[in-house]
Amino acid sequence: MKVKILRQQHPHAEPYWQVFEYEGGKDASVAAVLDSLNYRDDIIDADGNPTDRISWECSCLQGMCGGCAMVINGVPRLACDTFLKDLKGDLLTIEPLRKFPVICDLVVDRGIIQENLKKMDAFIGEYHQDSEKNHELEYQIGRCLKCGLCLEVCPNYVKGEEFFGPLFANDSYFVASRSKGDKTKIKKEYEQHFAKGCSKSLACMRVCPVHISTLASMAGMNRGIRD
Amino acid sequence: MSKVLIIGSGISGLACAITCASRGINVILVSPFPSERSQSVLAAGGINAVLTGEDGDSIEQHIKDTLKGGCDIAGEKAVRGMCSAAPDIVRWLESLGTVFSRDSGGRISRRAFGGQTYPRTNYAGTATGKQIVTALVMEARRLEGKGLIERRYWTDFYGALIRDKVCYGAMLYSEATRTVEAVTADSVVIATGGQNALFGKTTGSTQCDGYAAGKLFSQGVDLKNLEFIQYHPTAIETDRKKMLISEAARGEGGRLFYEDNGSRVYFMEELYGAKGNLMPRDIVSKCIYETGKQVYLDVSFLGKDKILARIPEVYELCMKYRNIDITRDPVPVVPSVHFFMGGIAVGLDHRTNIKNLYAVGECASMYHGANRLGGNSLLAAIYSGRVAAGSIRDEKTDSPDWSREVSDENGRLEMKRRSESRFPVMYVRGMLADAVNASLGIVRNARELENGIKDIDYYLGIADKINFDRSELEYFTYSLEGILILAKAVLKSASERKESRGAHLRNDYPERSDAYNASTIISYDGGNYTARFVKEDEYEG
Repeated sequence: MKVKILRQQHPHAEPYWQVFEYEGGKDASVAAVLDSLNYRDDIIDADGNPTDRISWECSCLQGMCGGCAMVINGVPRLACDTFLKDLKGDLLTIEPLRKFPVICDLVVDRGIIQENLKKMDAFIGEYHQDSEKNHELEYQIGRCLKCGLCLEVCPNYVKGEEFFGPLFANDSYFVASRSKGDKTKIKKEYEQHFAKGCSKSLACMRVCPVHISTLASMAGMNRGIRD
Repeated sequence: MSKVLIIGSGISGLACAITCASRGINVILVSPFPSERSQSVLAAGGINAVLTGEDGDSIEQHIKDTLKGGCDIAGEKAVRGMCSAAPDIVRWLESLGTVFSRDSGGRISRRAFGGQTYPRTNYAGTATGKQIVTALVMEARRLEGKGLIERRYWTDFYGALIRDKVCYGAMLYSEATRTVEAVTADSVVIATGGQNALFGKTTGSTQCDGYAAGKLFSQGVDLKNLEFIQYHPTAIETDRKKMLISEAARGEGGRLFYEDNGSRVYFMEELYGAKGNLMPRDIVSKCIYETGKQVYLDVSFLGKDKILARIPEVYELCMKYRNIDITRDPVPVVPSVHFFMGGIAVGLDHRTNIKNLYAVGECASMYHGANRLGGNSLLAAIYSGRVAAGSIRDEKTDSPDWSREVSDENGRLEMKRRSESRFPVMYVRGMLADAVNASLGIVRNARELENGIKDIDYYLGIADKINFDRSELEYFTYSLEGILILAKAVLKSASERKESRGAHLRNDYPERSDAYNASTIISYDGGNYTARFVKEDEYEG
């Protein structure tokens, strides 16, 4: 099958499309496809031209670290978690996450996620084990990969300058729910950097690899805000 | 106020950074990627601690089980310190917001793990490591906000700044600027994890390659017990890696069997009785190896509700990557390289043989002897990070000038960069993995180990001549030699230990020998690898 990849040699270079031929089976994950293209004796594109190896980021290769987040056939997904047999058509299109600066090929700089969470200065001041009904949601939020897929798909998230996106809403709820004491600051941050900018498309929930219900976090925060 | 440079931001690095910063020490925390990408997030099953002892369990029993599981070569002082601190560590993690699972009484849930006299593995579903990382990242962020922790991403370890057996900082490589710089510090802590890259497909992260240990070894840092490599008994094969089926699956009641003439043989139960499936990992892996057959793990009889409630990630993993529904069918499992008991040699305070240089977490060798018990790795990662942080003296060290060394190393990189070669360094890593897997299997012997050393010597001979592949991250290319040096040290250590103990099994020396009732320390001097055996209590100090 043909694999069309949006490539970019370095942060300041012009992006360009390059097509490769993949000859393996349909059971492969997109991560396996990238490895297969990279580790042939010579890496050549579909026209037989020698080219550079394709840069992409990975660590766990089993959907638990979020390293390999990219846009696959137009949908933000994890490469290790996406299988050819589940995709339609005979063309596989791979692009880097478009809302983050590209470093090289499919590798992007997601530092803005850490920066914004730092700006929000949210942490568990004094731990409070809230009622068990919140446990399931907190457990899911605790699994957040900080992969950026929810930001990529969100129609309201641009560059993270004012609107920090769904993962921020989830972390806000996590902190508010598990902390004792005054929650005024986190509620204010949530209002300013999420609530007033969210148009509730809920696209974030469709792409989240660990199935976090941002809607439930929003409901929790809204209840808290009214209190 | 002194400054500590911590290399690696998984659980041990985070625990060390938080503890240092809480003492008012300035921390620079270095890693190529955020903590969410660290191997720590893969730790599934739980963390050992005796929280109540109401069922008869005790800290003394935790110590005894750990020493016995380690086949009597772990140091008792170190193990006693870790097990005694375990309850406080779990409560600390709870206070930081770690989402532990809860029993009906609201207490932290615990399950049985291999080699335990009583169930003492406290857990958060089957994502305990991930939940701990989430809590520690949040706490580290609080200290970042106070200006006590500075995080640097896209930065790799290049080498330590060592002169006359004193460490003054590290050379760090930036993928953004493609240059090496010297970062001086009053203390340096290595927290870079295990050595998976030696073996290729393992249960771990592609980021854990052992380069830091290999490079430091070549700079005069002693390594210890490298031959003890844990094969986890239950992994599933996929095209990309071996994926861990958490010991929690057996802790919840899962049974191992193979098929013989159409009937199931529950071989672990036949060999060791009702608790056979939960024998320590070294024993279960050896028994699987000795069956010579495809072994299966069955949890289906637990029922769908219990499986989805207690081991949901195991269910998801098998379904997603093998299309096996463990609520209905058994899953074929294979032993896989999983954990490295050996690593950088440290004393009780986690200092290496180089002044001001520390090592913590899986890259350091301590606590586990010849075989680690499940649930003790998260504990050791946090405990070691806190011990090192508590040992670091808050005093300034005047550093010499390193500009010439930095200039030399940047020159070396530049020379390599001019190469027109397209030979991919990853091929050499692949050949290294083949050699290491062939010689360091579950069962080894002198001939295979010698062959492995010959192969590595050949690769070391050409490592300096291999030209950089310009389209790889430069880290992969400059790290090759250090990884090869480490591989040779592992093989040398395995050759020297002429007995079978724990995770080191030899068919030419099948019995345990009192002559080797000690730890293996290996040193490097000008290309010579020298191993010696040292009693653990003696080494601990």
